[in-house]
Amino acid sequence: MPTRPLLTRYRDDLRLFPDLWHKVGLALFAGVLLVYPFAAGSYWLSIGNVVLVTTVGAVGLMILTGFTGQISLGHAAFLALGAYTAAVLGTRLGMPFWVILPVAGLIAAAVGLAVGPFALRLRGLYLAIVTVGLLFLVNHLLLSFPQITRGVAGIGAPTYLWFTEPGTPGALSTFAETWSLGPLLFTFDRKLYFLFLAITIGAVWCGKNLQRSNTGRAMTAVRDHDLAAAVMGVSPARYKIIAFGVSSFIAGVAGAMFAFQQQFITVDPPFNLLMSIEFIAIIVIGGLGSVFGAVAGALLYGAVGPVSHTVSGAIPYISALSSHQQEILALALVVTVFMVIEPLGLLGVWLRIKRYFLGWPFRY
Amino acid sequence: MDFFLQLFVSGLALGAIYALVALGFVVIYRASQVFNFAQGELLAVGAFVMVALSRSGLPWGVAFVATLLITGLVSLAIERGILRRFVARSILASIIVTIFLAAVIRIGLIVIWGTDPRGMPTPWTSTATVQLGGASVLVNSLAAVGAAAAALAAFFLILKHTRIGVAMRATSSDQEASLSLGIPVGRVFAAAWFIAGVYAAVGGVFLGMFPRTVDPNIGLIALAAFPAVIVGGLESPAGVVIAGVALGVIEVLAGGYVNPLLGQFGQNFHTVLPYLIMILFLVFRPYGLFGQPEVRRA
Repeated sequence: MPTRPLLTRYRDDLRLFPDLWHKVGLALFAGVLLVYPFAAGSYWLSIGNVVLVTTVGAVGLMILTGFTGQISLGHAAFLALGAYTAAVLGTRLGMPFWVILPVAGLIAAAVGLAVGPFALRLRGLYLAIVTVGLLFLVNHLLLSFPQITRGVAGIGAPTYLWFTEPGTPGALSTFAETWSLGPLLFTFDRKLYFLFLAITIGAVWCGKNLQRSNTGRAMTAVRDHDLAAAVMGVSPARYKIIAFGVSSFIAGVAGAMFAFQQQFITVDPPFNLLMSIEFIAIIVIGGLGSVFGAVAGALLYGAVGPVSHTVSGAIPYISALSSHQQEILALALVVTVFMVIEPLGLLGVWLRIKRYFLGWPFRY
Repeated sequence: MDFFLQLFVSGLALGAIYALVALGFVVIYRASQVFNFAQGELLAVGAFVMVALSRSGLPWGVAFVATLLITGLVSLAIERGILRRFVARSILASIIVTIFLAAVIRIGLIVIWGTDPRGMPTPWTSTATVQLGGASVLVNSLAAVGAAAAALAAFFLILKHTRIGVAMRATSSDQEASLSLGIPVGRVFAAAWFIAGVYAAVGGVFLGMFPRTVDPNIGLIALAAFPAVIVGGLESPAGVVIAGVALGVIEVLAGGYVNPLLGQFGQNFHTVLPYLIMILFLVFRPYGLFGQPEVRRA
């Protein structure tokens, strides 16, 4: 069953915005994203920021697991590296955020590239278990050097410098102050939102472009059958390592964003196996193998938390649990339902809706 | 020397638990191609049920047998109720479902029994020691080694000499062929999960004894048993048992001898050492101790 009009030229297949509907839909979505921080209260604004961080992290994992088919349970390790890079550089060296973000990505990518060669010999479950090991090793390292990372005490991620030292007079002095632009007030959270939005759009764009390039198609070939890909001249080793590098770079950036959003971080929680599996769950409920899936999954994930708090207040026993426990239960439920009913995730739901209207008024 | 012997015996005890947990992983994986990340939480269920039953006044032996049965049935219920739906689905599905299941079971344990650590009752004085050469060794450690040895021996006897054991071996080598030959593959799944549950319970009961306690985090031991699974080979019961015992001994010996040499970095170094060994193994023998190098065809 087709889910899009028949294409006759390769150029059409490669288009970022294939038709008017996509352009209109994306424009509407962009409008909502721009208005959101001014319409939402502070609670929902912080949820929005978390969703943006999650989206970037999910795009990173999607490249590795969704495009290249390498199951990684060590995604939290790369986020931890990014977050700690941000916190340490910010606290110890007072670096501005726009230096920190790429550096955090580069450090995570360096570790990802170092891990890549080990991963080449492994597939499926073995890789998954070994990446759990990576997570433990990274956490152990972060806790072993308290003179740098402050160990179990946790560390702040304070630096929001905007080109100059804090305290310097002028409209652009520090990120933490509220700016006003005409009638619009840019509080710290709103500024963070727009910064995150820009990074997220960058990550999504990067993911989308990667997918429709040579590299992306080679990754898909490796995912679908690495032996066959090798026979056709696509080097699985090369593309697996590229996937690890790109994915961990994006995860590192997401980690730095996470640190800026939380403002204070510790090692475990949040950077544990559950975080890794939450990212896996996000890309699976969104729809494996598409950037759409990473974004949709992150949006759904963001909604699960607040909805679960509201709903579980009405259920006996469940209402006595901590909010984090309620979230885990709700997420487990959502994920299991998706796995049983719609293994393709939200992407599958979307494709079914689209197919219905494409064929309308006929059933097929 | 006495210090060495003392460490060696407590390493054996830890290794015996690793072996039981790792065997649970392997039994389930061989039968149903599912890696059960909730194995550690089954172990925790076993430990908590044992504490609850023996506090209710049952004699130790009765409570122990009842614990094994109950945990086995819990494991069976998980397979029938949840994982049966994911047969022949991608490994991602089973990974996600079992990890979330582990989180849910942990929440359940916290809701029912709280987070306070509890002492595991023992039929002997819980701090009793035996003189072994010049070293004094906990009876608990020896009992753990003995129980694990008995349980492992029973497993290999079942696998070799009973109908269901033969069926399990057949299923692990080719599920579809076994099905078409009339082997009750569904019953094999059930048996595998039941056995894995029972072994988790044995591990939980002996792991919870002095000097350790029973608390909801006891199930995290399963994460420490992953290296044993990889080093031994996912398909090889004998391999994971040997690897589990060896890694347990190495871990405790390293905790005694190596950690002090490393200064600050050595803090808890022994807990990550098995993972380092696992990574070395992956470089030189990615298919495990006794595994066969895999031949792949397009």
